[in-house]
Amino acid sequence: MNVIRATVVNTTDLLDTVLYAVVSGIGLALVFSLAIWGAIRFAEFSRDQRHLAAGGAAALSLLALAATLGAVVFGIILMAQK
Amino acid sequence: MSSDIILVLVVGTALAFDFTNGFNDTANVVATTVSTGAAPPRVAITMAAILNFVGAFISLAVAATVANDIVDSGAITTTVVFAGLIGAIAWNLITWYFGLPSSSSHALIGGIVGSSVAAAGTSAVLTDGLVGKVLIPAVVAPILAFIVAGAGIVITYRVIGRLRPGPVTRGYRMGQVVSGGLLSLAHGTNDAQKTMGVITLALVANGNLSENASVPSWVVVAAATAIAAGTYFGGWRIIRTTGTRIIKMDAAQGFSAQGAAAAVILSSTHFGFPLSTTHVINGGVIGSGAAKRLSAVRWGVAGNIGMAWLLTLPAAAAFGAITYGITWIFGTGAAGPIVVSLIAISLVVYAFVRRARAGAPVPAAGS
Repeated sequence: MNVIRATVVNTTDLLDTVLYAVVSGIGLALVFSLAIWGAIRFAEFSRDQRHLAAGGAAALSLLALAATLGAVVFGIILMAQK
Repeated sequence: MSSDIILVLVVGTALAFDFTNGFNDTANVVATTVSTGAAPPRVAITMAAILNFVGAFISLAVAATVANDIVDSGAITTTVVFAGLIGAIAWNLITWYFGLPSSSSHALIGGIVGSSVAAAGTSAVLTDGLVGKVLIPAVVAPILAFIVAGAGIVITYRVIGRLRPGPVTRGYRMGQVVSGGLLSLAHGTNDAQKTMGVITLALVANGNLSENASVPSWVVVAAATAIAAGTYFGGWRIIRTTGTRIIKMDAAQGFSAQGAAAAVILSSTHFGFPLSTTHVINGGVIGSGAAKRLSAVRWGVAGNIGMAWLLTLPAAAAFGAITYGITWIFGTGAAGPIVVSLIAISLVVYAFVRRARAGAPVPAAGS
């Protein structure tokens, strides 16, 4: 029975699909949320004259934004390679 | 000569199907962008059309699956492929007419399987490929999009929950331009390839290509153009169903739903699974809504969409089998496909005229 199931369903490909989708989908939501958080907190800290905190928030925002765009580009390149 | 006429009809019908796929299916891709006000409908649809065109050139794994792993190309004829396409188009038009976001992809595969069974019996169907590469991913993908979108929105609210809503909404609207674009690209890669696969299947069945041959470049360009044109010209009625009737969503939910759907479609395309983008985006939309509040989802509408999904494969298969039966009455030459083509064109024109008389397209929220 297991042999038949393994023939019909390529479980490795299916599990890889699930893994890629979970990591990239949830990862995208997380890093973009951090980008938004950083950008908004940067504006708030700057208004309150808290320059160090503002710099940290800006750096986090930029890093998260770069990670978002990098993940999108990496996903497209990875798919095109097969 | 007769087989070449049928091949021309198949290519024309396949491209018409691709156009209806864009018309019926791709609008779902931009629904969340439009309904949250991230972009005006015209801009969102134009961008989706361009990115669908580009996406069609990225990968050919799904085309190979459709051409080689669903039915036995050595056991079927171009007339069988033609009948399957007509069955799929018929089902697509019925669901479009009633504003239901059904799956063009499953309609296509159902139509081809139905006509193949009618022509050559069940032995013409490659059960392993159909089950392993179509049916199981068809069940897994929307559930996966539901879970990923739900988890994504939970994490999102944890991160941005205490911030002022105005800037957050503006930020996510900008993000939706990217996530919506990614989803359009993903749609182009997966859906246009199905048409490429069917045309390749017909070329193999007609002897123009050997079995397991790669997809010719002209097929890629033609399929990309047809789906992009369909995307641009159609789908307003369905935008409303997916964008506002399932759930009233905010921009963060839209981003999460689109990001999850794009992730699922791109991952599946990488492994050659011919998914329904409609199923996946609706799974993402419902997941992002249900994670916030179960009662936010209009489960009655979601149930109607689910019913259309369940019906698609068997209904399109039945239409494909019936169409093959009609062509069979006229013999093995080109007469049957020509008669069916004329009937199909008449019915399509009739449906469009009736829709036009019923009123202008329904404007989407936010427009």
